[in-house]
Amino acid sequence: MQDPRIRIVAAAVLSLTAFMSLHGAAAVFLWWMVFTPRLQLAKRIRLVLSLIFMIAFFSLVLQLSGGEGLSYFTRMTVIVLIGIWIFSEQKSGEFLAMGVWLFGDRAGFELGMVAEMGMQSLVSFTADLDRIRMAEKIKGMQWEVRSIVPAGMVLVHGALVRAEDTAELLAVRGYQYGGTMCPTFFTRPLDLVAGMVALGILIFALIPVSEFFILYR
Amino acid sequence: MGVPMIKIILNQIHAIRDQWSLSASGTFNEGVHLVSGDVGSGKSTLALMMAELLPWSGGDIEKEEITTIMLSLQFPELHLTGLSVAEECASWGVATDKILEAIGLTEKKEASPLSLSRGELKRLHLACVLAKDYDLLLLDEPFSSLDCEEKVKLCARIGQKSKGICVIFTHEQNILPRVSRIWEIVDGTLVDCGVPPEAFSHWSHVPPLIERLMALGSKPENISLDDLREAVCRIQG
Repeated sequence: MQDPRIRIVAAAVLSLTAFMSLHGAAAVFLWWMVFTPRLQLAKRIRLVLSLIFMIAFFSLVLQLSGGEGLSYFTRMTVIVLIGIWIFSEQKSGEFLAMGVWLFGDRAGFELGMVAEMGMQSLVSFTADLDRIRMAEKIKGMQWEVRSIVPAGMVLVHGALVRAEDTAELLAVRGYQYGGTMCPTFFTRPLDLVAGMVALGILIFALIPVSEFFILYR
Repeated sequence: MGVPMIKIILNQIHAIRDQWSLSASGTFNEGVHLVSGDVGSGKSTLALMMAELLPWSGGDIEKEEITTIMLSLQFPELHLTGLSVAEECASWGVATDKILEAIGLTEKKEASPLSLSRGELKRLHLACVLAKDYDLLLLDEPFSSLDCEEKVKLCARIGQKSKGICVIFTHEQNILPRVSRIWEIVDGTLVDCGVPPEAFSHWSHVPPLIERLMALGSKPENISLDDLREAVCRIQG
């Protein structure tokens, strides 16, 4: 999907729909199958499996304690799939363009820039994590629970150092508040179709299906 | 019967990432090799592929008589697994006290490795890596974060290695060790420039000082500081 405006709105709408109900989650899953590169996404982002395992663990706990674990697992997994789709489609500068388009050169620029920095941190975070795992392999160590503490420290330390560097760079360049930008967006006809279908799914999820069928009888 | 030759052969391996690509062919025999190239040219990617830590899209890598491999990543903090300096040393399986004394960090033995400066951390990391012998030692930007004095010490340490293959991936231009072969990455391809000093004439990343010395008619024998000094002395007579 080329247009980030439609992509972000669609992701928000689909996540909400998937969270609201099981049949909504099923419809969102179908949307994901039709409008995204599906499995290629899951292959590219290796965090997916660990996230799904984590959800599975909490779902099991929920199910065993009398809650609706299966429903929770299905809905959250679909939300994760939407999350990896938006993460993999996101291009540098899109949040900034979105922010300026929505809220203008001052507050919009600030919000967009913060979102860009957040995305950049996430990209650096995953790259660092890959390297840390390689480094452990080099030392002949295996990735295990014990590895989380030193790896976590390195990742947090790296994020803080990068944040400090960025802050210094902005200060040195005299940045104070807002900026100017003329955002441009490219919209393909398929983007509009995917966006409309996403809205349709939300409406479908809001309809109380069971009550509708009772009335019909 | 001759002694088996230790070597690593790259048979047209290539990596492709969006619009960027890297292809590499060549044989790395025993000795010290220098791989130069611009930032982003693919030096780290090649090092990771040679260490078999990153998959490649095509071609293959043959290793002969290589049983132990070590890769030093550019950023030393990514190697950290210990919560203290001493623990970090121990995680490399080296003599902690001896290493810390050699690099002057004995007093920081119990400190967190993340509290060290980048230079101190790099020194600690390199000391641990170089404390052992490996058949294939890959050093990705080993000179980054080091001051001149430490760079000279590192060159001397690399020069002391008598066996195995050592490949240095760097864009350092001034302080380098004596090498047996020079390579460079140009436009996404690994190029074998040859053996110094013949390599200098087709090395596009030739350090400015060597270029200047050649222009003055005094070609150094190799790229180490001693070789450059000798070439300067030849001019002065």
